[in-house]
Amino acid sequence: MPSERQELMLRIIDLCDTVRKRGLDPFDVEVREFFDRLRELLPKLRKHEELYLDIQAVLGLADVVFQQGEWIKHKSSMLYLDPLLIMLKLHALPAKDLAEVLTHSWHPIIDLEALTPHGVKEGLDYWRNLPPLDERWRGLDTTEVLTGEIARRELARMGILSDEDFAAVMDRAWRELKDAAGDGGEISYWDFISERSFEETVVKAWLVSFLVSYGYATLEIKSLEEDITLRPLPKPQRLECVTTSSVPISISREEWLQRRRARG
Amino acid sequence: MAEEHDIVELREKLARATQLLLFRHHMRPGTKAWELRHALGRDYKQILKLLDAELEKLGLTVKHTSEGEEGSESDRYFVTLRGHPTLTEARTFGWRIDDMGMLTAALAYILSKGGKAPLKEVERMLQEKFPRWRIESTIDRFIRRGYLSEDDEGLLYIGWRARAEVDQKTLLGLLLGKEKPAEERKPEGGEGEAEPSGEVAEEEKA
Repeated sequence: MPSERQELMLRIIDLCDTVRKRGLDPFDVEVREFFDRLRELLPKLRKHEELYLDIQAVLGLADVVFQQGEWIKHKSSMLYLDPLLIMLKLHALPAKDLAEVLTHSWHPIIDLEALTPHGVKEGLDYWRNLPPLDERWRGLDTTEVLTGEIARRELARMGILSDEDFAAVMDRAWRELKDAAGDGGEISYWDFISERSFEETVVKAWLVSFLVSYGYATLEIKSLEEDITLRPLPKPQRLECVTTSSVPISISREEWLQRRRARG
Repeated sequence: MAEEHDIVELREKLARATQLLLFRHHMRPGTKAWELRHALGRDYKQILKLLDAELEKLGLTVKHTSEGEEGSESDRYFVTLRGHPTLTEARTFGWRIDDMGMLTAALAYILSKGGKAPLKEVERMLQEKFPRWRIESTIDRFIRRGYLSEDDEGLLYIGWRARAEVDQKTLLGLLLGKEKPAEERKPEGGEGEAEPSGEVAEEEKA
């Protein structure tokens, strides 16, 4: 748990970082006030970690001062124009007009590609070392092996087949979905697929995609609420009766973590 | 006799400077100041001035960009068009109108933000006008070709090629001077709504 002192320094570092990375107005940072606060803190700092943070904060503020200098240079240059004005123009003009703006301020570089003596030598070496065509086309030395049999367990061990029948896995996932949906008969997609590990969550999402495609459940996207609802069907539909459509749902590790945190 | 010798030497230097500037001998086009000094001597800037006067007759010019301090050994010299191409000519160079529009928007946005802007912001701004699926690959291409550059923190800058080829003041000036197209200014339901021009329509179909 960072102390109050550490928290202040971390905040300063973060603020300076934001100015550098996001291009915010560096004059929004109260550099003098922060330096005063750091000066007050310095005699109280004991741990190496705190001193390191202090250095980072001072360096960050120094960088902000540098950014202020650059900002003034830019604003006083002929190139300074209000970003909002530029945004409005970019928004209003069609692509063709924007293209015309480029061509009228564009002086393309003229250059010719040429073969250098070094390139010629490389080409010559390559040609000399290149085996004749009949040698290159010669087949690989292989021994013919007769087809054999492989046990199901062996395939499962190699990860080619699952120990469990896929239909059984689907059936289990469907029952689990029905239990989770309860009396209301529906459950949030994210609530259902969310598992303790990211890998398990992805497997669950994969299974859900089959449940929906094979007529075991329906999926409804509520764009306004930014939610997806799953409804298990009482009986699986016949495949030919299932209306299929493709809905890409991406799951990133960050998003999974965020949702886990939100759910507590 | 000495004068004749000087003229011959000058002509040789001019020819050498032309070869150095026009033929690509590195990954990037152009020649660094130290290479020119090595090949042409200490007065290479005078030779380049003469070459510039010769190239003017062909509609070309010698330009230079600085990557560090002005006048350093790493300054790079190029030959560029003295004027600018027309939109139709630019299309024959292999540029799509959409791509040129995207480059204008990205450059103007970065310039208005003081020379750097987060990639995500630029992409978001472009999404208002261009299809999302094209933006990422087009920005990548601009970075590869040197029109934009990106650092480890995901910030976009004006690339070396844009600094060499694009007159930034003119670009911003023209952008601000451009009026909204006629059909956008007309009141709704007005007569004679303009058709998209042939070029843009073609681009959209492509």
